[in-house]
Amino acid sequence: MFIGAIGCEPLQLRRVSLERSRTLDVYRRNGGYEALRKVLDGMSPDDVIGEVKKSALRGRGGAGFPTGMKWSFVPKDSPKARYVVCNADESEPGTFKDRYLMERDPHLLIEGMLIAGYALGARVNYIYTRGEYRYLIEIMDEALEEARTAGLLGDRVLGTDFNCEIYTHTGAGAYICGEETALLNSLEGLRGHPRMKPPFPAVAGLYGCPTVVNNVETLTAVPDIIKMGGDAYKALGTEKSGGTKLWSVSGHVARPGVYELPMGYDDMEKFIMEDCQGITNGRQLKAVIPGGSSVYIMPAEDIIGRDVRMDYEGLVAAGSMVGSGGFIVLDDTVDVFESTKNLTEFYKHESCGWCTPCREGTDWLVKVFKRIESGGGRPDDAQLLLDIVDNIEGKSFCPLGDAAAWPIQSAIKKFPEDFRRHISNGASGDGGKEGLPTA
Amino acid sequence: MSQQFTPNNPLPQEAKVPPKMAVFPPEVEAEIERHLAKYPVKRSAILPLMFIVQRERGGYLDPPGVAYLADRLGVRITDIWEVATFYSMINTEPVGRYHFQICRTLSCKILGAGKITEQCTKRLGIKPGETNDDGTFSLSEVECLGSCGTAPMMQIGFDYYENLTTEKVDELIEKCKSGELSNGVR
Amino acid sequence: MAELIKVIINGQDFQVEKGARLIDACRENGYSIASFCYYADLALQASCRMCLVRIEKMPKLQTSCTITCTDGMVVTTESEEIEKARRGMVEFLLANHPLDCPVCDRGGECELQEMVFDWGDLEERFTERKNYAPEKFLSPVVANDSQRCILCKRCTRVCDEWMGEDAIEAGGRGAHTVIGTYGGWLNCSQCGNCIEVCPTGTLLDATYRHQTRPWELSRTTSTCSFCSDGCQLSVGSRRGEVMRVVARDRYVNGHNGEFLCIKGRFAHPFVNHEERLRTPLVRYKKGGRLVPTTWEEAVRFAAQKLQEVKDAHGGSAIGVVGSPRLTNESNWALLRFARDVLGTDKYTASEAFSLAPFFENLSAPLATHKDIRHAKTIVLIGGEPEELQPLTGKQVRQAVRNGGAKLVIFNSVPIRLKEQAAQFVHIRPGSEDAVVLALASPGDAEVAASKLGVEADEIGKASQIISETAGDVVLMFGGELSAEAQSVVAQLPAAFGEKEGRRFLLHPLPLFNNSVGVHDLGLMNGALNPLEILDAAGSEVRALYVAGGFLPAHLEGREGALSRLDFLAVQELFLTETAEAADVIFPAASFAETDGTFTNSDGLVQRVRQSIPPVHQSKPDWAITSQLASALGTDLGFQMSSSNIFLDIAHGVPAYEGLRYPLLKDESKPVQVKHALAGRRDVTAQLAELRRALESLDENAEKITETPPVGHELFKLGVLTSKVPQFHLLAAGNPEPESVLVSPLYQITLDPGLRREAAAGD
Ligand SMILES: Cc1cc2nc3c(=O)[nH]c(=O)nc-3n(C[C@H](O)[C@H](O)[C@H](O)COP(=O)(O)O)c2cc1C
Ligand code: SF4
Ligand code: FES
Repeated sequence: MFIGAIGCEPLQLRRVSLERSRTLDVYRRNGGYEALRKVLDGMSPDDVIGEVKKSALRGRGGAGFPTGMKWSFVPKDSPKARYVVCNADESEPGTFKDRYLMERDPHLLIEGMLIAGYALGARVNYIYTRGEYRYLIEIMDEALEEARTAGLLGDRVLGTDFNCEIYTHTGAGAYICGEETALLNSLEGLRGHPRMKPPFPAVAGLYGCPTVVNNVETLTAVPDIIKMGGDAYKALGTEKSGGTKLWSVSGHVARPGVYELPMGYDDMEKFIMEDCQGITNGRQLKAVIPGGSSVYIMPAEDIIGRDVRMDYEGLVAAGSMVGSGGFIVLDDTVDVFESTKNLTEFYKHESCGWCTPCREGTDWLVKVFKRIESGGGRPDDAQLLLDIVDNIEGKSFCPLGDAAAWPIQSAIKKFPEDFRRHISNGASGDGGKEGLPTA
Repeated sequence: MSQQFTPNNPLPQEAKVPPKMAVFPPEVEAEIERHLAKYPVKRSAILPLMFIVQRERGGYLDPPGVAYLADRLGVRITDIWEVATFYSMINTEPVGRYHFQICRTLSCKILGAGKITEQCTKRLGIKPGETNDDGTFSLSEVECLGSCGTAPMMQIGFDYYENLTTEKVDELIEKCKSGELSNGVR
Repeated sequence: MAELIKVIINGQDFQVEKGARLIDACRENGYSIASFCYYADLALQASCRMCLVRIEKMPKLQTSCTITCTDGMVVTTESEEIEKARRGMVEFLLANHPLDCPVCDRGGECELQEMVFDWGDLEERFTERKNYAPEKFLSPVVANDSQRCILCKRCTRVCDEWMGEDAIEAGGRGAHTVIGTYGGWLNCSQCGNCIEVCPTGTLLDATYRHQTRPWELSRTTSTCSFCSDGCQLSVGSRRGEVMRVVARDRYVNGHNGEFLCIKGRFAHPFVNHEERLRTPLVRYKKGGRLVPTTWEEAVRFAAQKLQEVKDAHGGSAIGVVGSPRLTNESNWALLRFARDVLGTDKYTASEAFSLAPFFENLSAPLATHKDIRHAKTIVLIGGEPEELQPLTGKQVRQAVRNGGAKLVIFNSVPIRLKEQAAQFVHIRPGSEDAVVLALASPGDAEVAASKLGVEADEIGKASQIISETAGDVVLMFGGELSAEAQSVVAQLPAAFGEKEGRRFLLHPLPLFNNSVGVHDLGLMNGALNPLEILDAAGSEVRALYVAGGFLPAHLEGREGALSRLDFLAVQELFLTETAEAADVIFPAASFAETDGTFTNSDGLVQRVRQSIPPVHQSKPDWAITSQLASALGTDLGFQMSSSNIFLDIAHGVPAYEGLRYPLLKDESKPVQVKHALAGRRDVTAQLAELRRALESLDENAEKITETPPVGHELFKLGVLTSKVPQFHLLAAGNPEPESVLVSPLYQITLDPGLRREAAAGD
């Protein structure tokens, strides 16, 4: 598996390939905690927020909300405690970048959180990690302890009067807990149902206090923004999407991995065919799901020869989204009916059950998929699927409902033939028991 | 089968005592304390504590474990139930010593997760969702574990096993049987 | 008056109060908006997604239940898009919902059914296999058919927010979410409010299950006959049998909303119980047997015997005992009987304690339950409303949780309400009077505190909370207070004096449905109280005419009293301890079989309406009394109509002046009687008495440290509740049956030897 940068100097992935990269020692020798020092040596919290605003950094968790703006929503005069919570729930299928950031460079996240904590006046912060990533929690705990011993964490950080604590917290197997308000409920020891917004977490989040929830990748971008300045960071990317972005590449490519690309990387086709070394086994590209399982699927013809620019605007123009950057490549053995069924089962399993459309809708969708697969397809089934999905999209309590809807909408639109074949023939002959080809 | 109760002598003794509460050794209590110390509100520690209790109570939240959690966190046992049943990693039923959790989501699936599951079923004699008779193995299909770049994969306990092949699966099973492999529970 | 803002709904301008919720604003202005999860007085949920509307400048359809109106908001509630969305939601809810309406208890009054009628499609597109789960018992009185659940979570919110019990929760996730408990058995106060608010047939009244169809029931709005909260309820009956009791119709009911407690909801089977007295019974010879007879003969015999005693010893040798469980009309008939027929002053009611000292000194109005809900400070001295007056308990909880009220509790028992209290003052048992003294007379506070076993500043802190309140202060007290302490409590508002923006309200916590009524009518103002009457039996009192029985507490230690009488006539529902000693027993009608009124602890006089014809040969108490009066040669003038008696009360009792049945028609606007306010009274004598009593308090008495379990009073087996098998299971600790698929009644044998206790209102 590849891990590194293409088309730019590695920024967030600068240290990941160094030996003992996760130790404080290596981190420090490679520019670590310089940004924190700079911040504590004379930047005001507003200065920090100002730099982040200038950087045009957008949240890497999936929604792409401008980070500086989110930070500025935290009320400055609230008498309540404030919290920074790092969203390390990473559960979007196809996404695994946060995992390597934490595994290889835990201090980068700690530094980012300390700076965020300073900017937002947060004294106790949490890293919410999905329960399956237990080994990462152990790595983080070790790094936190190292930082604490080195005076980088706890009371009087680097000898200043800035106090900041960071703790790890474990999830326990629930994709929905990646949604920031569900995450907060989970962190409070409740069921992981999303909360009503407003109030937004920035105003009333953890324990009812102002809280900023940021993705690991977002927070790990902060030290470099401080070091190089917001403008310089932004210049790495495009006008609206600053900096670099990590892409988790998986599926039928010769070289899967975590790729750091400048925002606005100019061509998705080149990225797949050259940087990722093309499709495995000499097969043809059939489709790409570029931003994690929730985004619209892109057929090869929307990529090949189309100069798809890899940033927020470019992907929207190409009919999809950056999302979490979970880049799943599908070759021509994949039956998009089956792959869509697979993802729909995921959403059914992960629906929290709070709201009617998502809870009942995903359950129904899976039943229809299964019926079609087992040979019970009916002529209007594609329309039925689209109708069900239409009654979910935009009507669910949180975006999980939409996330379940989009793959189906785009799959039926772009690959009608795969659906038609199943619906009219019953189970496809080429799928084996599970339906999907096995490599 | 029918029991006789009278208002004056309400219940047979054992029914009246609440489920016995689990007791843990000092080092486990210390671990629990460390988690509780992180949060301003005790209930926040519910998930970390559930993992500890399930590790210590043979892999799942048995009634004494639940009673312990409720008491330790100052909540009702039904609060433990509502949380425990929400999260897929919290077991409310016993699971095998080695819990094979095979990722079934898209990237793993298209790279052969189906074959891995088949191989496990063949070698262990259990289907996903089952535990074998002597309680050594459980097999589950789980959703994306963030290993799509090294698919197909599975988790045994908390340990990741990636880039799996059927041969590797055979090897792992042998190691489990010989007790060489950690069950990844911690 | 709140500020008004403009919202435009479907193209029309409306003025609404600033801060109004959009769904309410639309509904109030005539646009119906569908909803399941939105529910008055419960936390927002926004999960059913039925209430979607379009708001200009917002990207998606919005849930109107979560939107606060803003000035100039442009809203569309009716459009193709919205209709499609709404139909979509109904379709989703029906997907896994079993279409078993023909055998569902809720069929005909199910909100989902109504919604499908409005928004469902004829064509069913969901043709897959439905998720299945068997119907289960959650407790002796609650059953759960989880397949029908639409997860609106009204039940869990009611359990948490109203009851403070949090006993029922949602477990599982996604399509596997279910409502339930750990282990599947429900240990709580069994109020059944979760059943009441359930819009579908998911949570079921296990006592009513599969008995009738809702549309076969005739429904009568009436007043509960248990505690002094006086909840309004709807009695569902079929062919002369009470089948169920619910609190609906909620949108009409102003007093208790949907709330009922276990007794109001589940104890009604006493009405048609097989042990109800069937015919009049007469014992012709002392020591002889009671033999069934006709009404004419029983009345003749009773009249003859009473006449004999009157002739021999004078009318005042006959005692008349009413009951706080009977209607005002029946008690009034008894009082008139005592005065006008017998000419005796030995009348009373079988009441646990008299409220006379309290009402004599009343210096502030009575707090209604609505007032309690909106109070800013609530002071509770003694008492345990969660168990004895459950609606009061709920109002107090909500006042604290939803209204930010401060609750100050003085109690010798760490009652459950203390969880809600801003201040819980844990006093020694039996020292409630000292609390009153300390509050009324700060000079005594220090000494009192030492007797109470509390820090002196705890009293000061409580006084300060009261003093500083902006808004309503409700002072509540239980039955522990002595007569003197009651007088002083009634004067506390005057003692604290007036303050701008603060209003004092008083709320006694008597035990019975008509405790305040018997007081108001003056039935307790006779020459002797119940204990004294029993003590005088055989001497000063030669004969007794008793409606309803004495309380077990009255009879304790006075076992022989009744047998010393020359003659005892009793009218009762069951062969109680009192009735067993009688020479004549008249079978009386229960609250379900008679018309009348009860006056609750708020001073609300509320209608009792006949739901079924009197069972067997029973008659309303007032009718029996009238008949007996006629046999003794006096026409009480009621012409066999309870409304005439009420008219008579309105003429005879100042607080009831001007009241008529038609004025009590609308349950949404309950009528409070006008208790005279005493103004400031001199209570030095009472204070002196309290001081004297203080000295005898034991400074070393142990405090009670255990919080009593839920149901320790509610589940007690009284005369009425002991007729309901489910109460036996609960009184026995609600044992978990072997299988939750079968009613626990079939799995657990009940002990036939009942232990009866005085339970609140029973
Ligand atoms: C269903 C759902 C799942 C999500 N999962 C994740 C996740 O696993 N990791 C993450 O960082 N953000 C996730 N998000 C996005 C978060 O809600 C939130 O936007 C993010 O943590 C904000 O951080 P950012 O501004 O740094 O992106 C998810 C959102 C939804 C609706
Ligand atoms: S869309 Fe609804 S059911 Fe689905 S995860 Fe969000 S809140 Fe839960
Ligand atoms: S009433 Fe608004 S979502 Fe249910």
